[in-house]
Amino acid sequence: MSLMRSEDYLPRPAVIQKIIAENSQIKTFVLALADQQANQAFTYRPGQFMMVSLPHRGEAPISFSSTPTRPGTIELSVRRAGSLTAAMHALQAGDQVGLRGPYGRPFVMEDLQGRDLLVVAGGIGLAPLRSVINGCLDTPGHGKLTILYGSRVPSDIAFRGDIDIWQHHPAVTCHLTVDAPEPGWDGPVGLVTGLLGQVKVDPASSTALVCGPPVMIAAVLTALGKMGFADEEILTTMERHMKCGIGVCRHCHLDSKLVCVDGPVFSRAQLKKLQMDRL
Amino acid sequence: MRDDAMDQAFILAKDHLKSFLRKVKKGHRLVAPVTNQHNDTLFCTINHLDRVPINLTEQAQNGIKSFLFPQQETLATYAVSADGYRFNRTDVRPEPTVYFGVRPCDLMAVLYMDVVFMGGVKDQHYLEKRQDSVLIGLNCNAPFANCFCSATKSGPFLETGFDLMFTDLGDRFLVEVGRPKGREMLQAWQQFFTPAEAEDTRAQYQLSLEAMAGFRLDVYADQAIQRLAAGLVPESVWEQLSLRCQDCAGCAYICPTCTCFTIVDRPAGPDCGERLRSWDACTFAGFTRLAGGHNPVAHKIHAIQTRFLHKLKYDVDKHGRPSCVGCGRCVGICFGGTDIVRFIKMAGED
Repeated sequence: MSLMRSEDYLPRPAVIQKIIAENSQIKTFVLALADQQANQAFTYRPGQFMMVSLPHRGEAPISFSSTPTRPGTIELSVRRAGSLTAAMHALQAGDQVGLRGPYGRPFVMEDLQGRDLLVVAGGIGLAPLRSVINGCLDTPGHGKLTILYGSRVPSDIAFRGDIDIWQHHPAVTCHLTVDAPEPGWDGPVGLVTGLLGQVKVDPASSTALVCGPPVMIAAVLTALGKMGFADEEILTTMERHMKCGIGVCRHCHLDSKLVCVDGPVFSRAQLKKLQMDRL
Repeated sequence: MRDDAMDQAFILAKDHLKSFLRKVKKGHRLVAPVTNQHNDTLFCTINHLDRVPINLTEQAQNGIKSFLFPQQETLATYAVSADGYRFNRTDVRPEPTVYFGVRPCDLMAVLYMDVVFMGGVKDQHYLEKRQDSVLIGLNCNAPFANCFCSATKSGPFLETGFDLMFTDLGDRFLVEVGRPKGREMLQAWQQFFTPAEAEDTRAQYQLSLEAMAGFRLDVYADQAIQRLAAGLVPESVWEQLSLRCQDCAGCAYICPTCTCFTIVDRPAGPDCGERLRSWDACTFAGFTRLAGGHNPVAHKIHAIQTRFLHKLKYDVDKHGRPSCVGCGRCVGICFGGTDIVRFIKMAGED
């Protein structure tokens, strides 16, 4: 797929159309390439990421939280973690960022067609899976979706607009949990793995999609295996420090793989061949 | 000279070398090893053939990595203005360059860099420097003190991969033709070359046998590679190496096949700056650290493993050969004693 491509490392300017504050740490940036023609021609797939540039701050990889079934703009949901993301959080609608991409191996939506999906997410980890969820819901013939989403505290729950839609969608079951309650919270308290026992999914007809903090991913992958999910049907997407995005700089190495080109989407079967203690 | 005559070897009398290189210089930048006033032998650009002596007897302290993949290069400039946030290429077109006197190890290293930078997505900055370059090799009649290229199958004599390959036969060079650019160069300046005689190729063969017998280090790379593949290298080996490594990255910078890099912005004013690419090293503590602090390679022992597994396991699996070319430079530069020869020895022991 990428054999004939070349990379000049030149980001393209993109204009922030809108900023949605998901919680105190996460903002979703709705973006369009400044060049209208380029923006119309732009395509991507769920699970892929963009290298986002800010003046004097360099670049960071951010995965799509939007779905290509809703073209015209893209959405990147960014947790404030370092100097680039802090600077990004200070931007306003109308400001510009630089974008390179898309990069990385995506979730193969064709393979998910007709299968039931079990989505297990923690914190900002819902962002790339939101792309898959909304992509499925936009496509006729999708199966049942079960979404389990863990947050630290209730006020950290991100993507509330989507969650509200999912909770009212006939094909979707959506459960939330928090590590610690706050006044007014009457939902479950505990790790997202605790919700796994309460849902009805048939591992034979389902594919599981997992993203969150590394310890959570490791725990959920193990739990899903015990539930009877085949390793090939457990998919996760990984976060890594990256500089190039094209498999050259090696900052995102994971055992013999490079997350930017061999991932960021991996099946549990692929990960089992590697050293899993390096999530 | 007919094309089918190119399969054979040629002779360039040593008296004609300078005349040949003078012609070559007309259309190309010439890069060759030169001993400077500090007695350091380094590959450098040669502006005046008569003023600098090309040194074909020492091992250059650098390879030619930095010419194709500079220690620091500008990928783009950027500016923020009323127009928005714009990136521009710095349009410095690389000069067509002839690299002369490239040893088999360094030549193999360039072929490896070709795979890294052009095997998948083509890195435009590398490609532009590489596409107009000609590699003229020099086989090693006498391996240097820290050389072990026979163990990594990247020397001391090479049969493919070069544009032209020279072998020093005393008063003359045997010249073999490899890739098309070498053929073009030989055809363009054919007045300097005569067909080699059978005795010349016999002399070359004899020299290659003597070179194979001339290695001073015993390095059993295959054994280490096999034990790594089988997971037989004990934790104590990694522990010992990680304790000794001083985290200077000298090995990575001097290594002709280490190509890890970082990219940073350097402001030139409040609204503009450059985006730079610089050499990096996988052994540095922050190499894999994410914003927010999580580091999947949090321990020195893992960083050391990354370096040696990449060269002797992952690349063997991926490309069928290790990405160590046996030049021995890290042996000379490592003051902690954690160079690859030390590792190969430790990993190979039962």
